[in-house]
Amino acid sequence: MRIAIDKCVGCGRCVSYCPVGAIQLFRDEQNPKKKKSRIDEDECLECGVCFRANVCKPQAIYLPELKWPRVVRRAFSDPMVEHKETGVPGRGTEEMKTNEVTGRFKRGSWGMAVEVGRPGIGARLKDLELIAMALAEKGIVFEPRNPVTFLFEDVKTGRLKPELKNEKVLSAIIEFEVKPDQLGGVFQTLKDISGKVEAVFSVDLISFPEKEEKGPALEIATKLGFPVYPNGKVNLGLGRVLNK
Amino acid sequence: MTHTLHRTGEIESLKKDFPMLTHVARGYNDIGAGERLKQMAEIARRYTDLNFGDCKVANKFMMPPEQIMQKHTVGWQVVFKDKKSLIACMKELKEKNIGISVVVSGLFDEVFACCKKAGINPPLIEFALGIHGNKEKLWPPEILEFVTMCGHGLVSGHLVKKMVEDIKKKKITIKKAATELAKPCLCGAFNPHRASILLRRMTRF
Repeated sequence: MRIAIDKCVGCGRCVSYCPVGAIQLFRDEQNPKKKKSRIDEDECLECGVCFRANVCKPQAIYLPELKWPRVVRRAFSDPMVEHKETGVPGRGTEEMKTNEVTGRFKRGSWGMAVEVGRPGIGARLKDLELIAMALAEKGIVFEPRNPVTFLFEDVKTGRLKPELKNEKVLSAIIEFEVKPDQLGGVFQTLKDISGKVEAVFSVDLISFPEKEEKGPALEIATKLGFPVYPNGKVNLGLGRVLNK
Repeated sequence: MTHTLHRTGEIESLKKDFPMLTHVARGYNDIGAGERLKQMAEIARRYTDLNFGDCKVANKFMMPPEQIMQKHTVGWQVVFKDKKSLIACMKELKEKNIGISVVVSGLFDEVFACCKKAGINPPLIEFALGIHGNKEKLWPPEILEFVTMCGHGLVSGHLVKKMVEDIKKKKITIKKAATELAKPCLCGAFNPHRASILLRRMTRF
């Protein structure tokens, strides 16, 4: 996002809307008695929140045309943007939401997601690479339909395209399936990497609800110090195949 | 997309917070899904009017719901503040058997109790296993409760602080501040009712 400096009246109303505090008020060099808003382009995630907030009366905030690799910021930070590769808006896939229709997740294994940058602070993609490469070493195969997978130079190792490492996004999700013999290694890897990343990441686990299905995964997670929130997502199973 | 997972807060607060979403399964029930999504949205909106949105279109604070329903893409979101309305909505969605997937988030004990009363046997669940990494960068817990109501991270902690300051200065009412916080969350998963309660608690002096 950009602010047309000649249009900005320095009211500062846009400042608080930025999720990562990338908008600041500064003293106008041309007229030191006045202030102007400025966007720190290195921190800006191109999420569009400041623009959509519709608080800028002179309409000084605008969305510039973005080129590779910066366009990745918008693709992973603005849910209104649909990823060309997946056809899904936002950061991930349909994951568990439609599983009663697609049968994507099977009994005896688990779906996992690591959401880098969530909640609310964003992350440089080099953090995503750090986590992805550590998981790949444990034999993890990344979900091919997740838009993150298209950012890898080498999808087997989790190595990113080098020009993307310093790009910052609101969040990006590494999605994968975990088999019983991988559980311990995956949780230990996530625990070990926790002290090495600059940003935060959230961990999700998809399971069938029966005790024998969720039990083994939750037991290992708990043993390694992962909290299990009392709240989460429940698929009601109301979907079915309708396309003919 | 896991945007209704990882909502933080005290148990009592989470008891008033049940986001519901629908999502088409691409390649399985996406052909002609717009009309089905509209039918389901009309049902859900009879039981809750707290929020409504489609993340590729807008939420009800940006665009009238009727207009959003004309533009449905892959799904919609609403949010409930009580189990009674949620159960009634679940029952009707099950009875109408429209065929698009529905997911409800909330305290597992509460959601499963609602499912039981609605005659629903959930096939799959998703757990949140915490926040890790450089947690020093996180917003404090009382701000995080607002921020995590938008799983895409579009609700700014800076805006929460601004709304709290403005309420204390009597520049804005609690209700209007809650609405202002709901606006950036495009999906409509943000719960303005819960936000009002949290804002009241933060501005009590």
